[in-house]
Amino acid sequence: MKKLLSIALVMLFVLAGCACAEGFTFKMGIDAEYPPYSYLDDNGEYAGFDVEMCQKVCDILGWNLEIVPINWDTKDIQLDAEEIDCIWSGLTVYANGITEDRFTISTPYSDNSQMILTKKGTGIESFDDLAGKTVGVQMGTSAEAALTGDGEAAALGATFGTLQPYENYNIAFTDLQAGAIDAIAVDAPVANDKINKYGDDYYCLDESFASEKYGICFRKADTELCAQVEGAYMQLVEDGTYLALGEKYELDTSFLVLAAK
Amino acid sequence: MTLTGMILKMSEGLGRTCAIFFLTLLFSLPLGLVVALLRMSKNRVVQAVTKVYISILRGTPLMLQLIAVAYGPFYLFGYTLLVKQKLLAIIIAFALNYAAYFAEIYRGGIESMPVGQYEAAHVLGYSKGQTFMRIILPQVVKRILPSVTNEVITLVKDTSMAFTLAYMEMFSIGKQIANSQSSFMPFVIAGGFYYLMNSVVAFAMSRCEKALGYYR
Repeated sequence: MKKLLSIALVMLFVLAGCACAEGFTFKMGIDAEYPPYSYLDDNGEYAGFDVEMCQKVCDILGWNLEIVPINWDTKDIQLDAEEIDCIWSGLTVYANGITEDRFTISTPYSDNSQMILTKKGTGIESFDDLAGKTVGVQMGTSAEAALTGDGEAAALGATFGTLQPYENYNIAFTDLQAGAIDAIAVDAPVANDKINKYGDDYYCLDESFASEKYGICFRKADTELCAQVEGAYMQLVEDGTYLALGEKYELDTSFLVLAAK
Repeated sequence: MTLTGMILKMSEGLGRTCAIFFLTLLFSLPLGLVVALLRMSKNRVVQAVTKVYISILRGTPLMLQLIAVAYGPFYLFGYTLLVKQKLLAIIIAFALNYAAYFAEIYRGGIESMPVGQYEAAHVLGYSKGQTFMRIILPQVVKRILPSVTNEVITLVKDTSMAFTLAYMEMFSIGKQIANSQSSFMPFVIAGGFYYLMNSVVAFAMSRCEKALGYYR
C-alpha cells in the first residue's frame, strides 16, 4: 500500500510539474478552439494569427513562450491565479467584464464586426428578413452579449423568433447546414473561416450589427509587462510582419487597425 | 488534418486520461470504505456529518465540484496551488466524488451480511476487528463487485470532465481538434477510445469476479 501510494505521488508530481526553463517564461492563455486566431493546425501544433504574433513578440524580448489552452468560461480566474500571464486569443476588450478598472488592457490590435452568416435558399437578404427566424449564437461570445444586452443590437435581437445558444460554432454551423436554424450571429473572421471551408452556399449579410475591438488582457498590476509586449508588437507592425500574418491567416486586413497608423 | 493525425494527437492525451482514472481509483476505493464505516457509526454526529457529505457530493454535478476544488481555495484564501497543479485538483475532486458513491455501495454490501455471522464469529472468539477484516469484508467485496464495475466504467467516461479545468486529456484535445478543423470525427475517435478502455475494464472485472467465485 505504501509503495503504491508513493508511486502515485511521484506520478502526480511528474505529471503536474512544470517544465522550468531558464529565463522568463511568458504564459499565453488561449482559446484553442478559435480559428483563425488560435487553434490546433493540421500538424497538431498551436497556430493562428495571435499565436504566431505572440511567438514573434517573445522572440524579440528573448522570452520563452508557453502556450496554455484555457477554459474560456474561467479565463479571468486563471489570469488572476497566475496560471497565465495574459489572455490573448481574439479577446473582445472594453466589454463583457474585460474592462480597464479590473485589468490592464493593451492597445487594441484589431477591429472586428459581428455578422449574420446564412445560406442560400433561406431568402435572408437584410436584417428585416430575420424577423421571426431562428438564429444561432455561441454562448458567452460578444455576439450573444450584443444581441441580448441593452445596446443597439438588442433591438435586432428582439425581432428574432428564437435566439438559439450553442456550446460552440461547430455545432451551430452543422445545424445551419441541416436547416435546423436560419442564420448564425458570429464574429466576421469566424464567419469567413467557415465560408472559406464550405464554399459559396454560405454568405454574410453586408451590414454588421455590432463592432468591437480585440486586445490583449493582463493582470491589473502588470502594466510593465503590457508595455513591453506593446513595444515589441509595434516593431512587428512596422516591419510588416503584422500585415503579412494577417494575410497568411486570411483576416480582413481592413480590420488590422494598427497598420493604418 | 488526416484521420491518423487526429488519432495520434488525441492519443497524446491518453496518458493523462489514464492518470486521472488510476489515481482516482487508488484514492477513492479506500476512502469510500472509511466513509462507509463513518456513515454506519453509532455516533449520531459522525453519522449526520457523513450523510451531509454524501448527499452533497452525490447531489451536485462533478463539473461544479471540479471548479469548486480548483478555484474555491483561490477565491477564499488566495491559494494558487490547485489552480497551477490541475491534476492535483482533479484527483481531489474525483476522489471525493467517487468515494461518496463507493461508500454507499460498501454500506449496502456490509449491511446485507446476516447478523448470524457476527454472532458466530463472536462465539468463536473473534474480535470485532478480526470479524470485519477476515469474515465480513471478503464476502462484501464479492457481493459488491458488479456495482463497483458499474462505477468504474462510469469513471472512464467521466475523465472527460477534466476539460472543465482545461486539462489536456484525450477528450479536451479532441474538442480542440473538432473546433479547429470543423469536424466531428474527433468525437467518433474519442468514443472508440472510451469503448476500448471500458472493454478492458469489463474484461478485468469479470476475471476478478471469477477469481472470487470460489464457493460456486
